[in-house]
Amino acid sequence: MNRTRHRLWDLPTRLFHWLLVLAVAAAIISGQLGGNLIVWHGRIGLLIVGLIVFRLLWGVLGSTYARFAHFFPTPAKIKVYLRGEWRQPGHNPLGALSVFAVLALVAFQAISGLFANDDIAFNGPLYDLVGRDLSNRLSGLHHLASNALYALIAIHLAAIAFYGRVKKNNLVKPMITGWREGEGEDAQGGGLPALILALILALAAVYGASGAWLAEPPAPPPAAETPGW
Amino acid sequence: MKKLMLAVLSLTLAGGATAQVKPEDAIKFRQSAYATMAWSMARIKMNVEGTYNKEEVVKAATVIQAIANSGMGALYLPGTDKGKGWEETRVKPELFTNKEGVGKVAMAFNKEANEMAKVAASGDVAAVKEQFGKLGGTCKGCHDDFKVKK
Repeated sequence: MNRTRHRLWDLPTRLFHWLLVLAVAAAIISGQLGGNLIVWHGRIGLLIVGLIVFRLLWGVLGSTYARFAHFFPTPAKIKVYLRGEWRQPGHNPLGALSVFAVLALVAFQAISGLFANDDIAFNGPLYDLVGRDLSNRLSGLHHLASNALYALIAIHLAAIAFYGRVKKNNLVKPMITGWREGEGEDAQGGGLPALILALILALAAVYGASGAWLAEPPAPPPAAETPGW
Repeated sequence: MKKLMLAVLSLTLAGGATAQVKPEDAIKFRQSAYATMAWSMARIKMNVEGTYNKEEVVKAATVIQAIANSGMGALYLPGTDKGKGWEETRVKPELFTNKEGVGKVAMAFNKEANEMAKVAASGDVAAVKEQFGKLGGTCKGCHDDFKVKK
């Protein structure tokens, strides 16, 4: 092979990545500012549920380098990487650890948020399923885990900067264009049927998370019956 | 509930009487006041999101305004950083030491609560919705710094 570049990240993977960046940024900002933005914080949370579920499915249905089986970080792979002998395209073993950590943490934030309350007037869409006490505890964990998320984001950005400056390896460009410079196999698989299936299941997850299927609370009694006091 | 609200009201209006309130009662009154405000916030929210009833919103905003102006700070007696009212207090010790910080969030809340009552009286739904967000923001301002997360 004498090609100078190959397909690395398929389009759905890239769209997922950048949508997640935007969604997490928006979630952090809306969560910090509060007020009426808390309503948007909840909506963004639902979007993130959809993105995460999509990515989990795409880790099975997607193309070569997007598949979990391809980059699952085994101790053997990590050793090779730490010895500096890792040359393969795609997520390196440490990067893969970071991928799973980010997915798990963002998933935890999205799920705990569904049951959380802000102690003011906002409840997550599935709040009614757990009751106040558990909701309070999940809200506490939601706040606590946000610190871990900041740390992971910082590590993620620092690693990208380190790769770019020190190792002269631009990780951002392939995540935008999908192409990686150098020799390697093109990504295979992850066709349209797989994409449609993953999207449908992700939408179903968003529907489930939205609580739209929960029974409507009983209508309040008509105003005429409200006592004068 | 009504009795308790009257108790909170008379207690805070009486001013000097607060000095004699027992720590356990002080925590109970605090928690009751916040619960009553939670009721009122939910009431405003319901009206903003559903069918708007001006009277309902005025009632709820009046309650919040009254509590905001009740001088609740007097209920944060020395030694009530820990203890049980209706449940274990979730106040952070910082509330008792960071007087300047508390003053800031308390005054912000007071200002927006008064504004909420004014806006509610106007019956302008869009303005009520916006003010509701601002008011909620001042709740958060205090919770972030002075309320323990579970």
